Amino acid sequence: MMSAGLKSKWAYLAVAALLAFLILVPFDWFLGRYTTLMIFIGIYAIVTVGLCLLMGYTGQVSLGQAAFFGIGAYMSAILSKTYGVNPWLAMFIAAVMTGAFAYIIGYPIFRLRGNYLAMATLGLGLIVWVLFRELSHFTGGPDGMAGIPYLSLGGFVFDSAFRRYFLVWFFCMAVLLISQNIVRSRTGRALRAIHGSEAASESIGINVAQFKVKILVLSAVYASIAGSLFVHHLRFVSPQPFDFLASVKLVVMAVIGGLASVWGAIFGAGATRILSDEILLRFGQWDIIIYGLILMLVMIFMPEGLFVKLKEVFNRLRLRYRQKGAES
Amino acid sequence: MSGSVILETRGLSKTFGGLVALDKVDLSAETGKITAIIGPNGAGKTTLFNLVTGVYPVSSGEIYFQGRLLNKVPAHKRASLGVVRTFQHVHLFTHMTVLEHVMSGRHPRSSYGFLEAAFRLPKARREEEAISLDAIKYLNLVGLGAYAEQDALSLPLGQQKLLAIARALATEPQLIMLDEPGAGLNTLEKRQLSDLIRSIREMGITVILVEHDMPLVMGIAEWIVVLDSGAKIAEGTASQVQKDPRVIAAYLGEEAE
Repeated sequence: MMSAGLKSKWAYLAVAALLAFLILVPFDWFLGRYTTLMIFIGIYAIVTVGLCLLMGYTGQVSLGQAAFFGIGAYMSAILSKTYGVNPWLAMFIAAVMTGAFAYIIGYPIFRLRGNYLAMATLGLGLIVWVLFRELSHFTGGPDGMAGIPYLSLGGFVFDSAFRRYFLVWFFCMAVLLISQNIVRSRTGRALRAIHGSEAASESIGINVAQFKVKILVLSAVYASIAGSLFVHHLRFVSPQPFDFLASVKLVVMAVIGGLASVWGAIFGAGATRILSDEILLRFGQWDIIIYGLILMLVMIFMPEGLFVKLKEVFNRLRLRYRQKGAES
Repeated sequence: MSGSVILETRGLSKTFGGLVALDKVDLSAETGKITAIIGPNGAGKTTLFNLVTGVYPVSSGEIYFQGRLLNKVPAHKRASLGVVRTFQHVHLFTHMTVLEHVMSGRHPRSSYGFLEAAFRLPKARREEEAISLDAIKYLNLVGLGAYAEQDALSLPLGQQKLLAIARALATEPQLIMLDEPGAGLNTLEKRQLSDLIRSIREMGITVILVEHDMPLVMGIAEWIVVLDSGAKIAEGTASQVQKDPRVIAAYLGEEAE
């Protein structure tokens, strides 16, 4: 854990630098041409943070997180386009319904542990994905549905990438801040305790089953919000972004970011999206092999995650630099 | 035995498939005393702990804590009732500092939840401050105050065991059950452990311990219960138990008939 003093000063500096960077990104004279990419990174970071809380802190694997992402996306799309519900209200209803869905499946699914839990969540992801394809009366089937309205605030419509960028990153920062607060609280300690030893957690009065379900619900709500932002950005929705591969990619993002690091989620989502949108496109269908390889290498050589590893290296370099300074 | 009984089991049994791990055990522990449960390996000592703390459901029989039937009380609720335990294999948490371990022990004595945590509402900040102050108190009690910011798993085994006890004490129990607290400790650490157990008793907390180290048990236990093959074969004070022929037979084996 971060101790007070120097380390936290550096943490504040890093956060301030990140914020300044994020505010400047969409301007044309800076990284304006990457605005769309950055919107996707923000959206995926929101899902990844939830997965970090669930997998990294609480130790519960989900190979079906794209299901919650997709339910949020489709509910927003259907409510706002087909039924003409206000997009913000649609987003809210979607989050509540996705949370309720997670709550209902939570208790039975957490009777399972480890590999069995992984298989069950994988199954969940597949079922939900099939429903997106087959309930074509509502979802438009494999072709999806277009013409989803933009979000707007009063007369201010989020109809440009520049505007949506700030909207998405506002949500992303809010989610990060809330998650960080949770991690550093009584609840966060309970979650990490469950990861360490369920028997010991129960023995000191932690309701293990309930905390697991609650954190699943929170991660599902995050994913749902991200899904809503996703469809109001693209104005189009189809089953493809919510398939099994999407769930795997989400796990890759969480793992690269460092499972037990909230801020690492941005890094994980960023690295993975840049990799897939800018580099792996050339490999076509082979990209899944590269994802698999990355996942294996990271898990073998830096199980704490690339982000956490980089942070360690940075801290070590800083210490060495300071020691040298003290000697001379 | 005289005085009030804090924990009582009646005909307590546990079977795993065809294996009888615990067979109709009647046991009572007096409030404010140190009771030891001893017996050879496989005698059912840890099974008894697991039943009392709710790790396993009971096969038959009853467990009463302060006169209240515990059988159907979920494991996590028993801590707030005042029953807490430690584990033979320590069971510390990964990536958690020494202080955070003890803070997690304050869980049943604090109440703020997800929402208060997410927005750092006044209740969360107030409770969090009390939690860390209380935790430091318990950490000093076991003599680990100087290691508060260290990763708990970097401590040597002896200190890890003390930390597990501090974590359990932080729940403010009336009864603490220690599962082989002395295993793996050196002579000095064992002496410190005996002192700590005595001071826990001074705090008015009842202690039940399972232990293989006979000098340790004989030195601190005021009442000893002997289990063998899942059944209670003897109980009494240290000197009574040591002379009991059934106890000697259980430990040394009987002559072939």
